[in-house]
Amino acid sequence: MTVLRDTVVKNLAEIEVKGDQDGLIPAFNVLVNNLPTAFWNNFAERMVAAVPADQRAAVVEGLVLSAYECGYHTGYGIITSDEFKSVVEPMVTEGAKDVLRGAFAVFTAWGWAKSGIVQLKEGERMVIRAVDYYESDSGGEGLRAYMINGISKAFFELAYASPYPDGMNTFNCKQTKGIENGDSFGEFVVEKK
Amino acid sequence: MALNLNFTFDDNTYRHYLNGELMVLHCHHYMALYTKLAEDMSDYGGPKILKESVEDAFLGFINQVVSDSSLSDPASRLAGGAELYSVLGLGTMEVSGSEAGGEVSLVRSHVDEGWKKKWGNNHKFINHFTCGYVAAMFSAAYGKGARTYDVNEVASIAMGEAKGRITVKQK
Repeated sequence: MTVLRDTVVKNLAEIEVKGDQDGLIPAFNVLVNNLPTAFWNNFAERMVAAVPADQRAAVVEGLVLSAYECGYHTGYGIITSDEFKSVVEPMVTEGAKDVLRGAFAVFTAWGWAKSGIVQLKEGERMVIRAVDYYESDSGGEGLRAYMINGISKAFFELAYASPYPDGMNTFNCKQTKGIENGDSFGEFVVEKK
Repeated sequence: MALNLNFTFDDNTYRHYLNGELMVLHCHHYMALYTKLAEDMSDYGGPKILKESVEDAFLGFINQVVSDSSLSDPASRLAGGAELYSVLGLGTMEVSGSEAGGEVSLVRSHVDEGWKKKWGNNHKFINHFTCGYVAAMFSAAYGKGARTYDVNEVASIAMGEAKGRITVKQK
C-alpha cells in the first residue's frame, strides 16, 4: 500500500476548526487561522497591481516567500504530528516519497488545493498538478498561484533536503501552467537550484 | 451569544465553506509575512491595501454570519462580529461603540502574537489586518458600506503593550 490521498483527506479534513477560549487555534507548533480566501486573493492581486513594473518581481517573490516559510514550518509540524502519525504513517511503505504524498494529501485537506504528485525523481525533481485551487479565483494577469508554488518547494525540502530546520533554499519551484491563465490545471515543477 | 455557524466541505472540490463563504486554513508565518510584505511596500500603499483587502473580504461575510444568527440590532451584530473574530482564530476582542464610532480592546491577537513569535517586538503598529476587520465589523453592525469608518491602532501587543487598542470613527 502507498499513501492514498482521498483516504487521508477524508480522515484529516477537519470541518469545524474554531478558536479556543483565547480565540486562537494553536496546532502543529504554529497558530492557525481560518479566513475567507477572498482576503488572501484580494491582497495579492491588489499589491501586484499597485506597484510599478520594476517592483512587481519583488512583490511576487514576497508572496511566494510567505507561503514557502509557512509551508516549511507548518509542514514540519504536520508531518511530525500525532494526527499524521495515526492517519498517514500506517500507509507509508515507500519512505520519504510516501511522507511527501501524505503531506500533499494534508495540503488538500486544509483547502489549499486539490492537488497531487504526478512525477517524482527522488531528491531531484517533482511535478505537482492541481485541478482545483482557490488562487485560480483571483483576478490579475499571468500565472499567480504563489501559495502553491512556495509550499511545493517547502514540502520537497522537508522530504529531501537537510533535516529540519537546516534544509531551506535547496530547491526552486516554477509554476508552468495555471487554471487562472486558461489551462485546465495548475502545474508546478520543483528542481534543485 | 451563540453564532449560527454552518461549516461545510465539498467532497468533489475539497473546498471548505463557512456560512457559504470559501475558507482556507493558514498559519501565523503566512499572516506575518503578508503583513511584512505590506510594510515593505509602504511606498506603494501596502498597509492601506492590506486593510482594505480585509474590509472588502469580510464585510459581506460578517453580514452573512450575523444575519444567519438572527442578530438584528446593532449592538448584537457588533458583538457577533467580535465573536466571529475568535471563531476564526484571530484572537479575542472587547468592543464598545455606536454608529458614530467606538473602541476595540484587543486581549489576544493572532496577528500581533504571530509577529512576535517570528520577529519579537516591533517599533511600529502592524495590525493592519484587524483594523480592516474592525472597519468591516462596524459597517456590518450599522448597515453601512465599506470605507465608512476610520480605524486606527493606538496601542499594540506587537509593540510590547499588554493589550492592543483600536479606535473607530465614522468619516
